Amino acid sequence: MAQTTPELEPGGAIVETPPTTTSYDLHESTEAAEHGSSGLPQFEFGYWPGQIFWLLIVFVILYVILSKLFLPRVGGAIEARAAKIEGDLADARSARDEAERQSAAAAAELAQARARAQKTAADAKAAAKAEAETRNAAEEAKLHERLAAAEAGIQAGREKAMSNVRSLAAETAEAIVEKLSGQAPTRAEVDAAIARNAA
Amino acid sequence: MADPMHQFEIQQVLELPAVAGFDLSITNSALWMIIAAASVTLFFAAASAKAAVVPGRLQSVGEMLYELIHNLTDSIIGHEGKKYFPFVFTLFAFILAMNLLGMVPYFFTSTSQLAVTATLGVLVIAVVIAVGFARNGLGFFKLFVPSGVPFFVLPLVVVIEVISFLVRPVTLALRLFGNMVGGHVVLKVFGGFVVSLGALGALGIVGALVTLSGTVAITALEFMVAFLQAFVFAVLACVYLNDVVNLHSH
Repeated sequence: MAQTTPELEPGGAIVETPPTTTSYDLHESTEAAEHGSSGLPQFEFGYWPGQIFWLLIVFVILYVILSKLFLPRVGGAIEARAAKIEGDLADARSARDEAERQSAAAAAELAQARARAQKTAADAKAAAKAEAETRNAAEEAKLHERLAAAEAGIQAGREKAMSNVRSLAAETAEAIVEKLSGQAPTRAEVDAAIARNAA
Repeated sequence: MADPMHQFEIQQVLELPAVAGFDLSITNSALWMIIAAASVTLFFAAASAKAAVVPGRLQSVGEMLYELIHNLTDSIIGHEGKKYFPFVFTLFAFILAMNLLGMVPYFFTSTSQLAVTATLGVLVIAVVIAVGFARNGLGFFKLFVPSGVPFFVLPLVVVIEVISFLVRPVTLALRLFGNMVGGHVVLKVFGGFVVSLGALGALGIVGALVTLSGTVAITALEFMVAFLQAFVFAVLACVYLNDVVNLHSH
């Protein structure tokens, strides 16, 4: 593909006005006079075939070396890099997703633990309150009991005192009546009189 | 002042026996083609030696050139461009190497030889014609018959198309040749001015400094031209290939 056909070479047609001299002579002559009409060294057509020939040879060799050896290597490195970046990005993306999932799980666990702890605390508080209430109730009952016993004691004391007072009054009344009338009343009469007055 | 044309003179390096009356001796022009091709080979051997995922400097430059031309064939020729990429890349790298080597003082610029640029131009057109016939057969000639042209101007258009096609290798050859020769002549002439003005005393030295800075600027410009002309050659090769690769879409 990369060759010209001979008739396409520009030198081919032109060299028909051939450098009949050897190239060595041609080189000598360039120093002094000019071959081409313009005087430019580029128009010394005697040197064209050699340049065209070597250019095509060098170009084909360079083409083969580059297309078979170096360009695939450079292109391969570029593609490998693109693939690596792509793979790394995918890895990073999946790692991020994994981390997000784990953090969500951790948050859920934390919330659960907090709820559990709150429930335990509430339970403990309720239990303590209940215990305190029962203890209070027991204490109160005991106090009531003691109060009742004390009241009963006081009541008993008062009754006893009252009966003492009554007997004292009877004796006093007896003595007063004996002294006034000179005749001692019977105990039954006195009691009846006192009961009548006390009523 | 030194003859500015002297730098383009062909000299024999290795005499070889003539073949069929043609002198195929290796001249300085051929020698520098070989050096250019060897430089390209060595450069890419070094640039692609490691093929590392994280490229070094040399590999980066190699990949930049690769992608430059790859994008070119891809964008101009399209999907089919992959097949012609090695050809276009060889053209580009070879011309670029010859142009850049020519920028080194005392080195010979093979692309300043019309024989070289004309051969490259004809080579491109020969490949275009070969690809055209291989892909389209005789349909290749549709290249010269644009669709949608009224029949009474068609003959005229066909003549114009044929001429424009035939002129392509000429313009390819002359553009590269003219740029290289022109740049080198200008550099040589300015360089000569620096020397001859510098010999004229105090005022001359001032003039020489001005000319010297001009020479430096032109040298930078010529480096750009060396690259640009290789690139333009590759672009046009792609455009011409596209004409025959995607003939049906004309």
